[in-house]
Parts: sequence; structure tokens; C-alpha cells
Amino acid sequence: MTDTARPETPVPSRGRAGLLSRLPRTFMFGVLILGTLVLIAIFPEFFAPYDPLAFDYSAVLQPPSAAHPFGTDNFGRDVLSRVIHASTINLQIAIFATITPFVFGTLLGAVVGYVGGIAETIFGRVVDAVITFPFLVLVIAIVSVLGPGLVNMYIAVGLVGWVFYARIIAAEVKVQKRLDYADAGRAMGYTHTRIVFRHLLPNSVTPAIVYWMTDMALAILLGSSLGYLGLGAQPPAAEWGVQIAEGKNFMATAWWISVFPGIAIVITGLGFSLLGDGLADLLRTRK
Amino acid sequence: MTTPLLTAEAVSKDFLFARTIAERFTGRPARTVHALNGVSLEVRRGETLGIVGESGCGKSTLARCLVRLHECDAGRVTFEGADIAMLSGADRRAFNRRVQMIFQDPYSSLNPRMTVRQILAEALSVHGMVPRDRVDDRIAELLTLVRLPQDAATKYPHEFSGGQRQRIGIARALSVEPEVLVADELVSALDVSVQAQVVNLLLELQERLELTLVFVAHDLRLVRHISHRVAVMYLGQVVEVAPTEELFERPRHPYTQALLKAAPSLDPSTRTRKVAAKGELPSPSNLPSGCLFHTRCPHVFDRCRSDAPGLTSRGPGHVAACHLANPGIEGPA
Repeated sequence: MTDTARPETPVPSRGRAGLLSRLPRTFMFGVLILGTLVLIAIFPEFFAPYDPLAFDYSAVLQPPSAAHPFGTDNFGRDVLSRVIHASTINLQIAIFATITPFVFGTLLGAVVGYVGGIAETIFGRVVDAVITFPFLVLVIAIVSVLGPGLVNMYIAVGLVGWVFYARIIAAEVKVQKRLDYADAGRAMGYTHTRIVFRHLLPNSVTPAIVYWMTDMALAILLGSSLGYLGLGAQPPAAEWGVQIAEGKNFMATAWWISVFPGIAIVITGLGFSLLGDGLADLLRTRK
Repeated sequence: MTTPLLTAEAVSKDFLFARTIAERFTGRPARTVHALNGVSLEVRRGETLGIVGESGCGKSTLARCLVRLHECDAGRVTFEGADIAMLSGADRRAFNRRVQMIFQDPYSSLNPRMTVRQILAEALSVHGMVPRDRVDDRIAELLTLVRLPQDAATKYPHEFSGGQRQRIGIARALSVEPEVLVADELVSALDVSVQAQVVNLLLELQERLELTLVFVAHDLRLVRHISHRVAVMYLGQVVEVAPTEELFERPRHPYTQALLKAAPSLDPSTRTRKVAAKGELPSPSNLPSGCLFHTRCPHVFDRCRSDAPGLTSRGPGHVAACHLANPGIEGPA
């Protein structure tokens, strides 16, 4: 399940010696963090010292120690093992909740930006209608109708999230289509499809890709929020938001149950943000 | 006389401004820019036709209408006698292939994310110019033709200078083996030293490939150097057309005379401070009545304010749109 596209794969097509040293430092840090995370997410059994679901009533609410570096929760489950196993679900959320909006929003935005006119007007009204509602409220509403669970969360985020990508791309394509290279394509007799997807889109997609990286971080936070509210991943599955929710009654006495998954969220978000910043540098059109 | 290859017949083109909020509320129509006001022009096979005029006179709009990047609002453009607005499907693709355009801005006219090879290969494959296994050979030929090194193929546009980019643009246009090239301000964005290189290359290619060239520019000396015939545009109309030397030696339209006088001369003894055309170019969204030039013409008289003069003959291949037969010298025609 976790052999999905690794975020660190996009590398510039021109392979040359010294390429590594020319990469932006933020990009390298982002790749380092996310690379490690992806490795952990693919082989959690290899890294986790215990079964994440195994109860151990002889070691309940243990503080961090050599045997349990992140402590144990109220059922005696090893928090470290649960954080490690949760990374699988959380990275899945980051990717699956955002890939459909990214692809669909990008394609639709490119067409709308190119066609303009009435299509753009209708699109503008739809966007206005969607962004009038706070994102989380809308997603919670949809999940409540469809029922809790990860798949329904992906659907809910997909129904709302494409708007942001489409808006970014439509604005960018609108600028690009006025440039001479688009006219050159038309004068060559190229089809509209070719001009939009072969010429305009590659020159417009960078801001959407950068936003996508941030959006993956946001999706993890959203997944955690929904998990916390009981609408996302369901217990006893290990998921960082669910873990934080489970620890909330023990905050005063056993802070480690909530704090370590929280740190995991922060690090993952940081990784995506750095990768997004680095990609922005890397994909910027050279003039 | 040979039959014209490409003609514009009374072509008009308007552009609408987006309506302002005030205009929407008061119900006034959107303002219109009259970019072309009945342009008539012939391009003959094998010739170089220069089109000159000051900024904003509609030169570029005309160039874009000739290759059908703009549709005309009135009038028509014909290619080998057929109205190009009626072409569709394979005919339209064939027209696009046979009539190519080269753009002014060497920085925005090439897709920054495609290598030179990709740019040329795309044109070659879309029009099926050569079999797939010959594409690389053809690209090498094209690069030699425009005098770019062979390793240029793997590079991106940003790795080239302005003059080199224009030559890539020329190579792209030539890749589909066109008969007509419309060059819109081909070298005005380049340094003077590079301009000569690019222009001479174009002239050489024209001779070798028997191209018909429409050369749009505002640089009179350049146009004089390369054109067989020159058309002068003012406010979206052609006011005078003549063989190059005839036009430069005996201009018959007051605007052409003003334009030639305004061009800086290399000979200090001919320097003058006299202004040949007074005032500013009128707004193309609010055109003068009668002859469009009457607001600035030194020879204006009553008839100019009411009647628009048509293009009338002034000698072999020489036409001008003025009520005076020989403005500045004689009385009314």
C-alpha cells in the first residue's frame, strides 16, 4: 500500500556532475526528513520495538525509559511503536487526500484559464461558494453525512480541495496564454489541447506543486483533527491525531502520550514545507 | 504583374475594453479601440513587403490578422484567393504551415520549458514534415541553416542570447517549410550589432528558399534596406504603398513625408528643427472624421475633414490615399 509516489522523486531532468551541490539546501533537508519518514512508513515493523496494538497491563502509563523511549499509554501500549506505525496511515492521508484535488483541480483550472469567458464566470461563482465556508466545517459536514473513516475523509477533502488548485492554475494559465509562445503554437496550427497541456500547463504548474506540498502538511493536520474528533481513523488504529485525542485525559499525569505524536506531526509538516520551498526554487523558470 | 499570394481586403479589427463599473451602471457600451480601419494590401510571391508606421498604428495587429491569430471583424484576408477565415481542418493546418510568423519578443516567444530539439521536433511531427527516424537529421540541418551550433539542440531557451533566440524562432518557422514568413518587429528588441546578423540571415534564407516575406518594423532604414515594396500605415489604415526607392525618393502622402523627415539623418547639413507633423497621434478609440491624418496634416483643407480619400494611383505600383496629387508641391488633384 505504501509504495506510492515518493515526494522526493522529482529531480531536474538534466543529470550533471555537481547536481547535488546545486540543489537548494531547503530542498535537501525536506528530502532528508521525508525520505526517512517514508522509509519508516514502509517498514514500520522493522523500526518499532513492540506491537503497536498489544496491551501490557504490567506497564501502564510508564514515563519514557530505556525500555519504552516514548513511554506507554493507559493500556500499556508502547507509544514509540504506535507513533512509528501511525506514520504509515498519516503519510497515506497526506498523499491520498491531496492527489485527487491536485490532479483534478490542475486539469480543470488549466482548461478554465485557457477558455475564459462564460466558463470562467461559472467557475468563479463555484469557487466563491466553496471558499465561503471554512474548510474544516465543510469537510466535517461531508464526513458526518458519509460516516466516519479514512476513505470518506479522502472523498470530503477531494470535494472541497480541488478548488484551491484550480484557482491557482487558472490564474497562472491566464497569464501564460497571452505570451508569444502560446501564439506561436496557434500560428503553427497546434490543437488547443496541445497548447494547454503541452505548453501552458508545464509553465503554470509550479505554484500548484508548491501549494501541494503545503497541502500535504495541512492534510496531516486535518486528518489528525478529524481523528481527534473521532471522524477520521478509528481506534484502536494508531494515527497521530487519534493518539493525541487518547492522551488528552492524561495530559497532567502522562504528557508523553500526546506530546510525541504531536512532535511527529510537526516534523512531518516541516519536511513538506521545506520540500515545497526547495521545489519552488528548483522549478522556478530561468529567464 | 504576378497575382498576389496573400491579400488583405478592407480588413478591420476592433478591440473591446472591459466595461468599467461606471459604464455597466450607466448602460454605456464598452469603449472600442479601432486597431485596423479597412486595410487593403497585396503581398506578391517572392517579394519582401515592408510595413512601417509609428507605434500603435496597427502594424502588429495586421501581421496577426495575416496569419489568423486574430479574426477580422470586417473585410477578409485571402491566401491564394481563398478566404482564410473559411479554412478549417486540414486546409487550415496547411495554411498554418505555409504561412508562418516570427515574433517580436525573443524572450516570450519560446516555451521556456522545452529544449530547442523539443521545440523543433514538435513542429516537425505535428505537420508530419519528415519520417520519425529523420527528425534528428532535420533538426541538425535547421540549426546549420540558422547558424546555431549543433549542441544548441539540447539547451533551453534561457541559455541563449536574444539574437540566438530569434534564430531559434526562425528555425522553428522554417521547420515546416513555409512559403510566407510574417516577421513582426523581428529585430527591434535586439542590439544594433545583432540586428544586422539576424536580418542578413533572413535575407539570405529568403533568397535560398524563395520565401515571401512580410517585414513589419518601425525602423525606416532597415525597411529600406530589405524591402522590395513598402506600405505605410497610419491609425489602422494603409496610406501609401510603393516600390521602396520610389517611396523614399518621392513620397506622395503627407504622413509618409512627415515620417521620412522625422527619421534622423546622418548628414548634419540636412538637419532641421521643423516639425513635419504637428500634434499627437489621435486616440484609436475616437477616430477623426474624413481623412484620419487631417488633425496633423500641414496641407489640410476643408475636404479632408469630411471625405476620406481612397488609395489612388501615383505612378507604376505607387498608390497613396490623399486628396492632393502631390502634397507640398501642387494644388488639389
